[in-house]
Amino acid sequence: MSTEAIPAERSKRNFNALFGLTLLGLLLLMWIVLAFATPSFATTLNITNLLRQGSLIAILAVGQTFVIITGGIDLSVGAVVGFTTVIVALLINAGWPIWAAVLATLLVGVAIGLFHGFGIVKMGLPPFIITLATMTSLRGIGLLMTNGNSISINSDPFQAFSRGSLLGIPYLFWMVILVAIPSYVFLHHTRWGRYLFSVGSNAEAARLSGVNVPRTIFMAYILSGLLAAIVGVLLASRIGIGNPTQGDTYELQAIASSVIGGTSLFGAIGSVHGPLIGSFILSTINNGANLLNVNTFWQRVITGLLIIVIVYFDGLRRRGK
Amino acid sequence: MTSTAQELHPAPTLEPGRTILELNGLEKRYPGTHALKPVHLAFKAGEIHAIVGENGAGKSTLIKLLTGVMPRTSGEVIWEGKAEALATPYEAMALGINAVHQEVVLCRHLTVAANMFLGEEESRFGLLQQRAMVKDAQKIIDGLGFDLPAHVVLGDLTIGQQQLIAAARATVRGTKFLIFDEPTAYLTRKEADQLFKLIRRLKGEGVTIIYISHRMEEVFELADRVSVLRDGTLVGTRNITETDEAELVKLMINRSIEQIYHKEHFTPGATIVETKNLSGKGFENVSVTVRAGEIVGLYGLIGAGRSEFVTTLYGRHRKSAGQILWQGKEVQVNSEHDAIRLGMALAPESRRDQGLCLNLPVGMNLNLPIYKRISSNFLISGAKEKAEADRQIADLRIKTPTRHALASSLSGGNQQKIVIGKWLAHGAKLFIFDEPTVGVDVGTKAEIYRLFSTLLSKGAGIILISSYLPEVYELADALHVFRRGKLVATHGFRTASHEDILGQALAEKQEKSGGQI
Repeated sequence: MSTEAIPAERSKRNFNALFGLTLLGLLLLMWIVLAFATPSFATTLNITNLLRQGSLIAILAVGQTFVIITGGIDLSVGAVVGFTTVIVALLINAGWPIWAAVLATLLVGVAIGLFHGFGIVKMGLPPFIITLATMTSLRGIGLLMTNGNSISINSDPFQAFSRGSLLGIPYLFWMVILVAIPSYVFLHHTRWGRYLFSVGSNAEAARLSGVNVPRTIFMAYILSGLLAAIVGVLLASRIGIGNPTQGDTYELQAIASSVIGGTSLFGAIGSVHGPLIGSFILSTINNGANLLNVNTFWQRVITGLLIIVIVYFDGLRRRGK
Repeated sequence: MTSTAQELHPAPTLEPGRTILELNGLEKRYPGTHALKPVHLAFKAGEIHAIVGENGAGKSTLIKLLTGVMPRTSGEVIWEGKAEALATPYEAMALGINAVHQEVVLCRHLTVAANMFLGEEESRFGLLQQRAMVKDAQKIIDGLGFDLPAHVVLGDLTIGQQQLIAAARATVRGTKFLIFDEPTAYLTRKEADQLFKLIRRLKGEGVTIIYISHRMEEVFELADRVSVLRDGTLVGTRNITETDEAELVKLMINRSIEQIYHKEHFTPGATIVETKNLSGKGFENVSVTVRAGEIVGLYGLIGAGRSEFVTTLYGRHRKSAGQILWQGKEVQVNSEHDAIRLGMALAPESRRDQGLCLNLPVGMNLNLPIYKRISSNFLISGAKEKAEADRQIADLRIKTPTRHALASSLSGGNQQKIVIGKWLAHGAKLFIFDEPTVGVDVGTKAEIYRLFSTLLSKGAGIILISSYLPEVYELADALHVFRRGKLVATHGFRTASHEDILGQALAEKQEKSGGQI
């Protein structure tokens, strides 16, 4: 197994690890403070709830990070989540077995990713534009398919999944682990992971070095679409309905998680663990603010400020190298 | 609002010969390195002062200190008899110190005129006087004798032309002291001549010029005095009439000049690649053969079709006619991927734009073409990755603390070694080097040439593209001369004179351009 932490030089690698720890430390600090500040935080119910909340964004953030590392952006993931809740709901209600409905829904996610790759590679559209277009269109298509109504899912086992847990940990969080480990191996220990970085750093140099740049770009967006579809299925399971307006602003939360986790929007810098921690920091803020009875409007302000502070310190760290 | 070149260019106030700038123990330390050891040097008004030295000798550091880009660690800078802080670029410009950098630092998306006046736009009632600026810019450009339009977007010009614009820009801001950092690295001979004319004219107007170059013949052509830096130390300053190339090279590297062009002859082996009447965008009817163990030089001016020929060979562009034979068999090369699979490797001309992933580690850059080979199943072998990278770093003597250092932190010469080095492990049969020693110092050049011999000894063939005649002349076993998209002459190793080859590449203006290319 490779031990290369990229992109980093040795001293910077320690920094990176330190940064990861700082984030983790920040997360733990928030948990400790909340545990003392509110009686309801450190309860099993709340913790499992927090893990469930954070899980969905965490999975999206990983896919988003793949895309951002190539120097792109995927604005569509929130819309894909909403759209795929509709697809999975319709298929299950049409009598498909759950496994087939889920598989077909995931393929829809892959198809959306393929479409993004096509728009960027073949049509030469900027990632921002093509994913912005799908972001609005998918919601529209979903609304057309459902006439704007929510679809109740008639399947108890399907909904039971999101409520279940193993070893006291919700299945939803196990899903994060199930996604994170292959993602980590993929990004840091396979050549495709290296290619993502190289395309984000200098696509021309990568191409001249024999990297199949179009394929790499396709791969990033397909992964992002696939992970968004997974989140769509999980969300449908959790709320028991298919509704195209679900997952509103998820794309922004995913991007924010990624950036808080140290991903550079200019590409070529990023990891898997960073965005994961970033997403749980965001969830904890929301969860904690709810418990502390902080006005939900303030939550948004706090989130925004936190993004500025964390990314600013990250920038200082990079320059300080 | 119609200012002329003369008004924009007030004559410097000092009479020639007096000291304009004095460095008194100027010193720069970075954490871990002593980039510039205390330098004592006085520049005279109106002189052209060349500074030579290997990459990493401290030239760039010196420039950065003089232009206020970086603060110095200690020492004094005395400008016209007065100690100055020179803490910011703005301060340096206000004094009249300007620099033209090796890599053009202008806005590619703006017009030539907008770039010329960037930061001091002409305006009336807060509105830009665009037409007036284009007119004035054109006047300045014409006045300098450059045949370039002021209204076009800068990015549409060649790198050489952009460099001329950068030089023109530096002359219009009351400059008294102008630093040229490797200005001719990307210029054709004709463009270089225009630049030299400009430099001499500025000297005539009393401007002090610092001229940094790796090309010795330019130093002797232009300079009045020359200073040599080695390992951050000023090892000597000479009047140009009292020194020669051999002495300077010796001062720079402690190595004799014969050792630079290191040419080993190998018995040519089997044919690796052959093109038969290959035509494409920018060139036509080119038939070239490369055999194992030989260097095939392609010489010509920029735009003569050499680069277009090799990029077509490399699958970047579609050929329009002709054949490519790889080891005797006709092949279709439709993409870089095809070319690489066959066993071709291209080290492109512009390493920053095409050759390197600057914000990725050295090791990753070196291994990029071979990740497939050093992976088993799906996973990259960490041990192989480390071994390959460390071996290249050691073999090529790439100066880097570790393979984890970012490529951007290396000097230009070492970056170039990465661009070349990443193909060594790949085991390519045909290496295409497009201007491999642009902006590279003598010592690194020698190392790169030695690398060529290593490749040849392993049975590879090399296509070497260069605008620098001595390079192809001293190294190529077969030398093809390109002019306007055609292969006009072929010579053996050192079988023709410099003058003949140059003549064939230029062919003056006898034949009217047929609108080709």
